[in-house]
Amino acid sequence: MGNPDPNSLMPLVYDELRRIAAGYIRRERPGQTLQATALVNEAFVRLASERPRSFANRQHFVAIAALSMRQILVQRARARKAAKRGGAPERVTLDERLVSAEPPGVDVLALDEALTRLATLDPEQARIVELRYFGGLTVEETADTVGVSPATVKRQWAMARAWLKRAVDAAPDDGADAHL
Amino acid sequence: MTREQWERLKVLFNGALDQPAERRHEWVTLHAQGDDILAREAGALLLAHDTAGNFLEEPAVVDPADVATVDELRRGTRIGSYEIEQEIGRGGMGVVYLARDLRLGRRVALKALSRLHDSNAALRERLRREARAAANISHPTVATVYALEEIDGRLFIASEYIEGHSLRNDIESGPLERRRAVAIAVDIVSALCAAHDAGVIHRDLKPENVLITTTGAVKVVDFGIAHIDNINTRLTREGDLIGTPAYMAPEQLIGSTIDARVDIYAVGVILTEMLTGQHPLAPGRPSMPVSAAEIAWQCIQTDPNARYRSARELLAALERELSNPTAVADPVMRPLPGASRALWWWQFHQAAVSIVYAVMVWPTWLARNVIGGQTGNALFVMVLAAAIVAVTLRLHLWFTSRSYPAELEWARGRATGWMLVSDVIFASGLVVAGVLVGDARAALAVVEIAVAVGVAAAFAVIEPATTRAAFRPADRL
Repeated sequence: MGNPDPNSLMPLVYDELRRIAAGYIRRERPGQTLQATALVNEAFVRLASERPRSFANRQHFVAIAALSMRQILVQRARARKAAKRGGAPERVTLDERLVSAEPPGVDVLALDEALTRLATLDPEQARIVELRYFGGLTVEETADTVGVSPATVKRQWAMARAWLKRAVDAAPDDGADAHL
Repeated sequence: MTREQWERLKVLFNGALDQPAERRHEWVTLHAQGDDILAREAGALLLAHDTAGNFLEEPAVVDPADVATVDELRRGTRIGSYEIEQEIGRGGMGVVYLARDLRLGRRVALKALSRLHDSNAALRERLRREARAAANISHPTVATVYALEEIDGRLFIASEYIEGHSLRNDIESGPLERRRAVAIAVDIVSALCAAHDAGVIHRDLKPENVLITTTGAVKVVDFGIAHIDNINTRLTREGDLIGTPAYMAPEQLIGSTIDARVDIYAVGVILTEMLTGQHPLAPGRPSMPVSAAEIAWQCIQTDPNARYRSARELLAALERELSNPTAVADPVMRPLPGASRALWWWQFHQAAVSIVYAVMVWPTWLARNVIGGQTGNALFVMVLAAAIVAVTLRLHLWFTSRSYPAELEWARGRATGWMLVSDVIFASGLVVAGVLVGDARAALAVVEIAVAVGVAAAFAVIEPATTRAAFRPADRL
């Protein structure tokens, strides 16, 4: 009865996200950002029609997609930090988007680290944050996915957000610190 | 913090949130039952809660380019016989890694081509061919292409890894010293000689593709393959060509057949940029040492036949320049030809003619009413159509000359024939209208015919003169 192993579906989701993102680049100007929700939704619509049997339901898909988005963002942030640190030799043979700035907002690396710590204290809170922030789910959708009431999601979300805010603010901004 | 402490913290936090804001602190103290650490923790969380603003409230935002090129190639990943060390760049075509070739124990730059190429069999075949040709170039100032690898259905290009920075960095920190600039140009052109001999055209020569190693040597990278970027760009992002076109020869920009002389064009642009920090066709035309300006100018001729015939010929000119003692002692500055004054006159002429054409529609309308019938209508429509075409084309050129000077030449090339045709029709229309109106409205007839004569004079004599002054200063300095 159980859902197929998420790990085996990961590459499928990755590929779809990649393909959709490439589509965005084709249509939009480069450097434009969009909400994770948009990508995740589009990926679901396509995969649901192309491979209706792969995913038990939308929630199952979004859980994997949210995890993928988290990994993608973390990976990119890491690469950017390495480049900023001067760890990477300057070899600028590709176009200018190479130096594009980190998207505004949250320090993804600090958040990722804090979220990993939160998961050891409260796996449900960590999961709710992943679904809401990286997957773009609403409170109701998150409640459906996790299998709790919307009221519980709200409570858990409030505490997780406060805890993460503290953790991220306390995290040393090591990218800059080490050199300033 | 233990699980148990965490559960108690949760109870405290949630309980406090249910209280009115001003009572929360008191509530926490009361319910912490003497556990100060827990009370402090809960207090801090409540404070964070109140000051979090919209932290995490909006879902994460991503750059589609990051997602499109995302990759599992982390440090230590094995790709065939390569081991990834780190990412060193990325762009529309894919990601470049610093990797170690485990067979030969050397470091390479490994370019993982974007999966966007995967489905395009023709493009893959072309890449394969070009990489093979590029691998045949062996020259000290060319970054050697080692191999094109197809690993698990994905294409990788392995090439010499170069530690250093791009010429773009140097240009951005101000004009280069003359001898240094010419010496770099000599190295670039030597690389071109070797490549052209091997039948490879670079096609995307620009300061970003010229690397200066840590020892100051010059290496030209991405021979024959850099433009895959642009092909990809064209295929995937129409209308987004602004960027490198600055280095593209006109024949390349319009997509007609190209040969090795497109690289010579690019050298002219790069040389000017090294010496002045500006594009040679920038408004106001940058000043540079005369002899170097002559070389640059001959490189960037619109007509490929007017450029140096080969990289070797250009190399000879640059080497002469490098050993030219007077050029060193006497760096006379002169604007590149194509004096902006002449350009101004040409622009003025285009604008003035456009206004006259537009205004003349009115007398022709009057003439139509006098002539009447089918003839009058036909004549008016003919003149109106010709005026619209002529004015549209001239304003297009005028606009191009002000906003995209680099593209003016080919815009002119395309518009000239149509302009001539519309001018002739317009002038003939006016003459016929003037004759038909004749005695009935003598003044009107005179105006029509006088303007027709003026138009004829303008396109036969004045326009060629202003155009030649503005665009053919190559005959010269």
